[in-house]
Amino acid sequence: MSQSSRTIQLGYFAAAFGAGGLLSLMVLFNGTLAAYGSLFFASWVPHLTGTFAALLFLVILRPKRAQIARPPLWVYLGGVSGAITVMLTSATLNSALALSGTIALGLAGQMVFSLFADMRGLFGLPQRTPVPRDYIALGLIVAGSLILIFFGSGS
Amino acid sequence: MIWFAALAIFAGVLVSLSRQINGRLALSTSAMESSFWNHIVGLAFITVIALLVGGLFAGEPASAPWWAYLGGPVGVIFIAAGSWLIARIGAAQTALLIIAGQMISGVVLDIIMGAPGELWARAIGVGLILAGMWVAQGGKRG
Repeated sequence: MSQSSRTIQLGYFAAAFGAGGLLSLMVLFNGTLAAYGSLFFASWVPHLTGTFAALLFLVILRPKRAQIARPPLWVYLGGVSGAITVMLTSATLNSALALSGTIALGLAGQMVFSLFADMRGLFGLPQRTPVPRDYIALGLIVAGSLILIFFGSGS
Repeated sequence: MIWFAALAIFAGVLVSLSRQINGRLALSTSAMESSFWNHIVGLAFITVIALLVGGLFAGEPASAPWWAYLGGPVGVIFIAAGSWLIARIGAAQTALLIIAGQMISGVVLDIIMGAPGELWARAIGVGLILAGMWVAQGGKRG
């Protein structure tokens, strides 16, 4: 791998790691909202303010459309999948699984399906086959995450 | 119990599914446009369900601190980032590094907010995650 493509790769990794930090903030903000209002409200408000924020970003940034051809209609349904996630987790949070079990099992489902999607190249995304190094990284990060989920937090 | 466990796993599958669909939309449009559609379609869906089930404005949402209302704009950047990354480093790498970032920033937030937690667990957990990230970035990838 050339030096420049390696730098780009590190940039992607840093961006994904930073996005994880944003997710922590979202969980904190939306979770606080849920402590005062209903779980619907805690998902409805960020979707509403997010819609306006995204519109504002689009007006300011004016990103170019990658393709002129219209994509199939199903690609617009990602938001439905995300909204159902919120409803499912609010159900499991109140079960014996509690927060730690919900996060741990969700993490497992997310990783297994992501690996499967990569291997098959699902939904028109690039196909890629994980190498042994990827599985070692996966094992270490999942192990560290499980320790933090079950022992590292007061929740 | 087994039912709830299946639901929790399925919720994780949906997180990945949503990122893949949004990533596909970003391939045709842009990451930010994908994030916009994710939010407006999700908003419409939640509004319909909330109207059917009721109780959207239950509780005391007006007494929540002002900063609790900032999740939306943060989420816009988060969804755009995921849509942009998934076509470049794949679903598994994207998910793994987002989880790593979430876990480590969660420990930092816990420490800042004084949440109780075992020090040894935090040290080992963060250490393993950092080691995993070091392994992940170390080699060739096709």
